[in-house]
Amino acid sequence: MSQALALQRRAPVLQLLALVVLFVYGAATIEGFSSEITVDSMLVLAALLGLAALGQTLVLILGGIDFSVPGHIAMGAIVVSELYGARHWSAPLAIVLVAVAAGALGAATGWICHRWRIQPLIVTLGIGAISAGAAIAWTQGHLTGAAPPFLTTLTTATGTTFGLAVPPVVVLWGLVAVAVALLLHRTAPGRRLYATGANPRAAALARIDTKRVWVVVFSASACLSALTGCLLAGFAGADQTVGDPYLFSSLTAVIVGGTTFMGARGDYTHTVVGALILTVLTTILVGKGYGQADQQIVFGVLILLVVAGYGRERRLRDRV
Amino acid sequence: MADRLRTHTWLFAACLALALLIANVAAEPTFGEPGNWPALLAALAPFAIVAMASTPAILSGGGGLDISIGPIAVLANVVLIEWLLGHDGVGSAWLAIPIVVLLGAAIGALNGVLVAVFRYQSVIATLCTFFVLAGVIAKIAPAPKTAPAGTWLTGLGDMVGPVPGGLLLVAGPLVVWWLLSRTAFHRNLYAVGGNDATAFSAGIDVAAVRVLAYSLGGAFAAVGGVALTALVSSTQASGFAQYTLIALAAVALGGTQLGGGRGGLVASLLGACCIYFMQTLLGALEVSSAWLNFVYGCLLVAGVVVGAKLLTLRPRGATA
Repeated sequence: MSQALALQRRAPVLQLLALVVLFVYGAATIEGFSSEITVDSMLVLAALLGLAALGQTLVLILGGIDFSVPGHIAMGAIVVSELYGARHWSAPLAIVLVAVAAGALGAATGWICHRWRIQPLIVTLGIGAISAGAAIAWTQGHLTGAAPPFLTTLTTATGTTFGLAVPPVVVLWGLVAVAVALLLHRTAPGRRLYATGANPRAAALARIDTKRVWVVVFSASACLSALTGCLLAGFAGADQTVGDPYLFSSLTAVIVGGTTFMGARGDYTHTVVGALILTVLTTILVGKGYGQADQQIVFGVLILLVVAGYGRERRLRDRV
Repeated sequence: MADRLRTHTWLFAACLALALLIANVAAEPTFGEPGNWPALLAALAPFAIVAMASTPAILSGGGGLDISIGPIAVLANVVLIEWLLGHDGVGSAWLAIPIVVLLGAAIGALNGVLVAVFRYQSVIATLCTFFVLAGVIAKIAPAPKTAPAGTWLTGLGDMVGPVPGGLLLVAGPLVVWWLLSRTAFHRNLYAVGGNDATAFSAGIDVAAVRVLAYSLGGAFAAVGGVALTALVSSTQASGFAQYTLIALAAVALGGTQLGGGRGGLVASLLGACCIYFMQTLLGALEVSSAWLNFVYGCLLVAGVVVGAKLLTLRPRGATA
């Protein structure tokens, strides 16, 4: 029993169990649920959600919260489409520019939050508005360009990677997940992130440069959101509202995965499973033919049921 | 002065609100004319009340963050217009307002039970409520609908006797809060927010305090919904995420700590005034709509940075 608990503490076992149960239920009751094309499109949606939630995961481990995700996504989508489609820049250059701009804004966020000890919630709200607002002001609200075609190829469900019948964005997501897992658990910067999230004061006394941790994490989060925006521009086309659904869905994916809100628990592997759970759940609800409103209601209730199995706080009387 | 600011964090929000008010009057002299006050107060009321509504949950600590405040306000709005003001509705304000306030309190209590009794993280519990309510709202009001003309709503959006309706609505939660500040609940709330394990050891019924805090927030949010209805006189079945975000920004700008246990309702009210005056100032200066988001973001970040610069010596723990 104690071994099982220790395992659950290290890896998202119950989360994976919930995912398998949901998938088997879907495959058993909905025709075509386990067909290759359905699975591939679920994987693409989960990959986009998972990539959008990567920055949020890092920020939550640090003990903050990032509400600038939709802003940076919109900025990335708009700028890459405008630069490539309307101003005929080369695609890699446009993407690099987006990443650098978002990274700088993110670094500013982390620096401001750390320097003056301001809550990340309000600073990220402001910076998110600045990021999307600057992109909208620059294009004067008229978006004419389209994203580079290779971004669309990356994100089509029927795409192949080096002959394998897996969409490229899913392979990319898998590689990112492995890299982040190694980074968080096997390298010094990863351990510094957890130490800072667990107790910033103790971390500072252990000679960790907590300011650098904050700057790097927020910068990475903004950068990743903007790059997800580039992918979304290829997936669905760019507009001002392309990031809006990801505000709460990225947060939901992180928390359903099992990373907690107050810092230093969970990792990206959890979020990967969380994003998969959310996508399978949504696909089941669509497959069952629920209307938009019913989908949201059932979605909310089901998340509570799923999280009940593993994602609850300790009893107060056990913490005294 | 600096000492003063450290102990009364809301003073900064008060100064900022005053400065913005003066800027508004300078930019558009008609702003200060008494004839405009009822309309201004009616437009301010929804912001101010949702900001106050999200405060008790944050004060109750444990990472408390009520994401469902926006949807509760909008639910009150659609219930009022679709059901209570319809042909077979109850009509009278004395009956309709208590009904929606009770509804809001019930949803808030449900949130509180999920958090305090079932030990969910408050972000995930209220996010689920958010999703469920979004579905319920879409079901109740599938198409936009206008309120019947000539009801008490028109008065509430303008003048009720000699008093502006907006002022009356904002005063509601404030009076309730003031009455509560004379009870043990008020002190217990701050004790629980400061350190729940300590409060539990001291014999405070932490669960009861938290449930009450969330239901208070729900009830206030419903009052915000009434204010929203008085302002727009129609169903506003979208954009509730925006209300939640503005409310949270206002709370943070007011100086309330997201860690819990410090801050208050008046601080959030002042924070909301700051955000509202920022928006009217942008309107008065005729900022082009493409730049609106960008300038709003800059003002928000500049506002908190200036505030924080004045409070640099704030006690540790403010970063969380």
